[in-house]
Amino acid sequence: MTPRVRIAVFALAVLCLLPAFAHVAWHMPPFGAHPLPYGDAINAAGTRERHVTNMISAVNFDYRGFDTLGEEFMLLCAVTGTSILLRGNRGERVDAPQQVPGRPIRDRSDGVVLIARLIGPVTILFGLYVILHAMTTPGGGFQGGVIVASGTLLVFLGEGYRGWRRLMRSKLLDGCEGLGATLYALCGFASMLAGLPFLQNMLPLGEVKDLFSGGLMLLENLGVGMAVAGGFAVLFLEFLEETRVASDGDEEESGG
Amino acid sequence: MMAMLERVQSLLPWAVAAWLLGIGLYAILTSRHYVHLIGCLSVVQASTYVLLLAAGYRHNARAPIFYTHAPSVAVDPVVQALVLTDIVIGATVTALLLALVLQLHKRRGTLDPEKLRPMRS
Amino acid sequence: MSLLISLLFLLVAATGTGVALSRVPRRQVMAMAANGLSLTLLFMALQAPDVAFSELTVGTAALPLLFLIVLASVRADGAAKRPAGKATEAEPEPSPTPGAGAPP
Repeated sequence: MTPRVRIAVFALAVLCLLPAFAHVAWHMPPFGAHPLPYGDAINAAGTRERHVTNMISAVNFDYRGFDTLGEEFMLLCAVTGTSILLRGNRGERVDAPQQVPGRPIRDRSDGVVLIARLIGPVTILFGLYVILHAMTTPGGGFQGGVIVASGTLLVFLGEGYRGWRRLMRSKLLDGCEGLGATLYALCGFASMLAGLPFLQNMLPLGEVKDLFSGGLMLLENLGVGMAVAGGFAVLFLEFLEETRVASDGDEEESGG
Repeated sequence: MMAMLERVQSLLPWAVAAWLLGIGLYAILTSRHYVHLIGCLSVVQASTYVLLLAAGYRHNARAPIFYTHAPSVAVDPVVQALVLTDIVIGATVTALLLALVLQLHKRRGTLDPEKLRPMRS
Repeated sequence: MSLLISLLFLLVAATGTGVALSRVPRRQVMAMAANGLSLTLLFMALQAPDVAFSELTVGTAALPLLFLIVLASVRADGAAKRPAGKATEAEPEPSPTPGAGAPP
């Protein structure tokens, strides 16, 4: 298909769908006044039944916990696919970043190094805080995991390629990610061992507004946090490895 | 006049979602660089987030976090849970697509969809 | 409050258009970060703090970084191959579509 034919087909599709879309949008309930029966039911019953105050975590890990299991295995598959694609053809040296010929090599400025060294560990700590507070305040494994992985990027800015590579052990990160996904699946099987349906909340629920409330949701949240943090760190590692020198080059790196 | 403004405000979320979808698809169709194509795919994903969250909104209601006040009328937590996981997993799938682009560049040396059509390799 | 939400919707439409219509990939990455930021503001106005959290970290930190790394690898790969006499194209700067910006 040439580009013109493609655009013609696209224009045809838009012409056919636009009247239908306009008709539906015109007859929708006004914005902000939709009937929300499922959400209202969960809002009314969630705190009383599950002893958590973050309804979104309750939906993610308890009421629709099975869907989150599927999402987590999607993450696992995507990260595995990326690793297989990128680890196939890699050279031997592990510590020199790739340089484009003819470009000047700049030193890292002291200000960047100082700020990265100050704020990197604080960001990772903040990510752990967000993971832990899944049941009480806005937060959870998904957000906290990405914050932790982004904190390691600040370490990369501060230490350069060699220092960052020493910190990120490939096997450790792979294990972290796999362990997280396994933990989530094992939570489901633990419920089955107790004679209940898969992923049914069977641990003591704790008190409302306590940090460790929610029963089995805590373990699931921890599993998701580890899987997402490990997965994103593996992705960053694989992609940054791609910028490494492929053959035995002898560029002297001074900036990273 | 006020009724007209209310109407426009009611239609705006759906119009924005449809516009983002349309412009993202058009840019994918006429793209000349695969990395640009993947960026436009993220715009199409953003249109679905906007659509879902607009469907779950309620005027003068709070977020569904009942830490400081008792459970009351709040916005829909189900769509928020959907969009939340979707954003993170969508980023991972985008990373997989980028890995495919890297391998493509190593094999064929170019990233132009027009030059990589199967009939003339 | 409703005026704020309407303005944020329009801002999201504008930044999304910016991402789709910037043809040079390196500029598109910055537009993507701006799009992520405006989406975060919209999600906060729609009373969704969890969602705003994820969109902020993913859309402004993780995703633009992945794009920049891929662009750097692609260009370094192309530049490394060219002196060896191989007849491959380095990263092509797309320009034939109308309304494109000049390559940097």
